[in-house]
Amino acid sequence: MPVFRWGSAFDAFRDLEREVDRWVRSMDIAFENPRIGRPYPMLNLYDLGSEYLITAELSGCTAAELDLTVANGVVTMRGKRTPAGDVPEDRFRRRERPIGNWERSISVPERINDDDVRAELNDGLLKLYLPKTPSAAPKQIPVTKGRSEISNENATEGESR
Amino acid sequence: MSETIEPQQPERDDSPNRDDSSLSQSEESPQRWVRTPPIDIYETEEGLVLCADLPGVSAENLDLQVQDNRLTLFGRVDMPNDRLETLVHQEYHQGDFLRSFILSDDVDHERISAKLTDGVLEVRLPRVPRSQPRKISIQAD
Repeated sequence: MPVFRWGSAFDAFRDLEREVDRWVRSMDIAFENPRIGRPYPMLNLYDLGSEYLITAELSGCTAAELDLTVANGVVTMRGKRTPAGDVPEDRFRRRERPIGNWERSISVPERINDDDVRAELNDGLLKLYLPKTPSAAPKQIPVTKGRSEISNENATEGESR
Repeated sequence: MSETIEPQQPERDDSPNRDDSSLSQSEESPQRWVRTPPIDIYETEEGLVLCADLPGVSAENLDLQVQDNRLTLFGRVDMPNDRLETLVHQEYHQGDFLRSFILSDDVDHERISAKLTDGVLEVRLPRVPRSQPRKISIQAD
């Protein structure tokens, strides 16, 4: 009768794996929560075909507090995160939310029509629509069959097929 | 006073939601993430105040509940754009916010109040009022 079974031995590995997983994840949280070195605000850029969409996470920011400019394909946003109320530093048990002045600018990969830029700010999420200029839209170039020399016309035709 | 409120480490952090419910959704939006919102906790005269950054969460999409001393907040974010192939540059994952906290017995569960303004949730956790010593009069026969 076997005393040692591989099955239960592997269970121990699984426990260890889970334990290490948990440990690694807690490290991750410890480093992530202060959001050190991360740009603020975090944003995503979408290419919707005729326009670009930038979404930015700006919780606590009102439309009046947000300063948004577009010039030469560079979008600049700036604002200030003010702590709620006048809470003394020693009252805080935990502080993960960033405070202070912030500014970010990003350049959009294509030419945009500055006059038709739209921005919405709802529940702390900014949506910025940047329509592309018509010249930036891909232009279809018609391709015609070349008729270079009459003598080898048949040969060119054969190659193009 | 011992820790009145303790943020719990989430079971899943920034990982794709693998619930059964999300699996059915996954066909439309394959990358639905659960994220941990940053929070502040500070003390006031009445108790504690918890603030959380929940950008993109509206009041009707926010679920806040207390069960067995555990306060859980879950905020659903409406996707600004479901078509992920249009994503050119990404710094954050589109997804919902989840975080839970263990409340101590000091917190008066009945009087917890919350408000959500511009994507910032503020939860007020008042302390249970200390019971006043009561003098019991003794009657002599």
